[in-house]
Amino acid sequence: MKATPLSNCERRFLLRAIEERKRLDGRQCYDYRNVRISFGVDYGCCIVELGKTRVLAQVSCELVPPKPNRPTEGILFFNLELSPMAAPGFEPGRQPELLVKLNRLIERCLRNSRCIDTESLCVVAGEKVWQIRLDLHLLNHDGNIIDAASIAGIVALCHFRRPDVSVQGEEVTVYTPEERDPVPLSIHHMPICVSFAFFQQGTYLLVDPSEREELVMDGVLVIAMNKHREICTIQSSGGIMLVKDQVLRCSKITAVKVAEITELIQKALENDQRARKEGGKFGFAESIPNQKITAFKMESAAVDTNNVEEQAEEIIAKADPPSEVFSKPILHTPGTAQIGEGIENSWGDLEESEKEEAVEEEDESEAAAALECQKMETEDTSMMTETKKDEPIVLSDSEEEEVVILEPQELPSKTRPQSSLKQETTSKKAFNKRRRKKRVAR
Amino acid sequence: MAAISMRLPVARKAAAPSAARGAEKHLVAPGDTITTDTGYMRGHGTYVEEEKLIASVAGAVERVNKLVCVKALKSRYNGEVGDIVVGRITEVQQKRWKVETNSRLDSVLLLSSMNLPGGELRRRSAEDELAMRDYLQEGDLISAEVQSIFSDGAVSLHTRSLKYGKLGQGVLVQVPPSLVKRQKTHFHDLPCGASVILGNNGFIWIYPTAEQKDEEAGGFTTNLEPVPLSDREVISRLRNCIVALVTQKLMLFDTSILYCYEASLPHQIKDILKPEVMEEIVLETRQRLLDLEG
Repeated sequence: MKATPLSNCERRFLLRAIEERKRLDGRQCYDYRNVRISFGVDYGCCIVELGKTRVLAQVSCELVPPKPNRPTEGILFFNLELSPMAAPGFEPGRQPELLVKLNRLIERCLRNSRCIDTESLCVVAGEKVWQIRLDLHLLNHDGNIIDAASIAGIVALCHFRRPDVSVQGEEVTVYTPEERDPVPLSIHHMPICVSFAFFQQGTYLLVDPSEREELVMDGVLVIAMNKHREICTIQSSGGIMLVKDQVLRCSKITAVKVAEITELIQKALENDQRARKEGGKFGFAESIPNQKITAFKMESAAVDTNNVEEQAEEIIAKADPPSEVFSKPILHTPGTAQIGEGIENSWGDLEESEKEEAVEEEDESEAAAALECQKMETEDTSMMTETKKDEPIVLSDSEEEEVVILEPQELPSKTRPQSSLKQETTSKKAFNKRRRKKRVAR
Repeated sequence: MAAISMRLPVARKAAAPSAARGAEKHLVAPGDTITTDTGYMRGHGTYVEEEKLIASVAGAVERVNKLVCVKALKSRYNGEVGDIVVGRITEVQQKRWKVETNSRLDSVLLLSSMNLPGGELRRRSAEDELAMRDYLQEGDLISAEVQSIFSDGAVSLHTRSLKYGKLGQGVLVQVPPSLVKRQKTHFHDLPCGASVILGNNGFIWIYPTAEQKDEEAGGFTTNLEPVPLSDREVISRLRNCIVALVTQKLMLFDTSILYCYEASLPHQIKDILKPEVMEEIVLETRQRLLDLEG
């Protein structure tokens, strides 16, 4: 089946966003997605997840006669497969040139860089050598297959253990894992590929393109480097014309990224080693989290908290301090209770105070609605403190004292006896509101 | 500072099953036994194993005399002659275009099946072949009718009428093909102020109603004038209504879309996508449709 093509609107949107230095998933131009490495129970089996792109790597070995022109070297065999479960566009029969290109890149990255010491794979010169076979399967395609595949490949090779061999004269003994511990491969360095996608004839570049970005890119530059800043292989495809300083800049970025990824790999390998030694659980069942379809699982996203302090300070400055908690409610009618007594208000002007009160009430009810605070008690106390400004609690019998106890499910409205101003609350649901206003006779 | 509404994940109750709609359908899942009676001929979506007829797709069983087949609920579009489809050009080849129509194979639009501008009728020449890209490019949307089906299942399209052709400004909604009801006409001008093309392949195109009918159009000149805000709002609302109908698995035809639009008017356009609002609108739509039937 063919993959669904990208519509013109999406294409334009992506290009415009890239011109404004914005990516769909919120990354910066030089940011990598999260790399997760998990190991299987066997040595040499691992799954690498780069964002949603997943690659499974498996290393195996076999004793074979060596190549005639290289009798003292072991044989390395690399194979990358794009399974149809990775993307609907991959069919088992016809595999496009993408597959050839990826395979060639993996070979150049791992074989030509001589990261594995092939001389150490020799058992009997000219007769028996180890053939190390690395199989990579793409499980899910979400862009940047080559990076994920190169990481998976090198991790699997580092993780792999081959059976121990001893040669006594003419006799060759291959020990099983029970007799003698298997031996790791001798790996000199870890080459990692980093891809750069170019847009608008090389004006904009992105590191680690996702699948959508790959569909709209002009070309890609892949640099394979190890942590000693040695370039193992470099390839540019797509027909873009690159300037010298662009390539240099990319290689500098690669050095930084490779250092980070290499550190991550070392840590993952150590953790796995430790888990195996201490007898803890290891394997995919432990490391790959439970991905039930019925469970609600969302990847955590980073939240920008740069302005939080200023915003929080603003809110705190505007809000009034919370009141003391009165713990004894008095029940007036079913649905209406009162907690605590009010304190005197110190407003001078009646009109001003009414407007202020209206504004404050509106703010309060909106804030209450926004917070979805259904508790009446807290509302009451906060309502009451909103209308009071002064500290001294004066309970005096004033002339105008209005207590309106509202029935539930009714929109409360309140009229002041002295003025004809009608105050309407702006609450949305049926909040039982109770306001007590005291005007101290001045 | 804008207000944000957040929704925490909570298990939703399954919607109550709607009133019985006539005969109960026999729904099967892959692997379910349909019948053990050997007298039936097996049709699409079934296979025989150990004297039992077993379903291979998830869907409803249809029985015509002795033929038993399973019509899949969600599948790729299978072309039938005479269907209206909306498709996107993926390739420009020598004498034809390849159109993506949500089917297993790309559909084919031959140059000879395409209307020339001005409605001329003449033999296609070499210049026409070279100018193919001027008519339709990769990424363009077209509306067409199915002319015939090749033996491998690929569909051959034609745009031999003036009402088919390249589509201009509008919104495309992709829905499962089984939800689009087969009707006499699939081009509707809704009274709410927008027009809609219900493609049988599940591509639904919503666009602003053209002011006057251009005779010469033939579908090549795309109107690129800015669409006014009121039209855009109508189109957005229609799009959200269609998404709501699809989520609740209601058949899509002009009346159901119109009723859903009217039921959604009290809500804001972006609220229509909330699950509870969706249920409410579609329930009302369903009610009105049942009343309509009698």
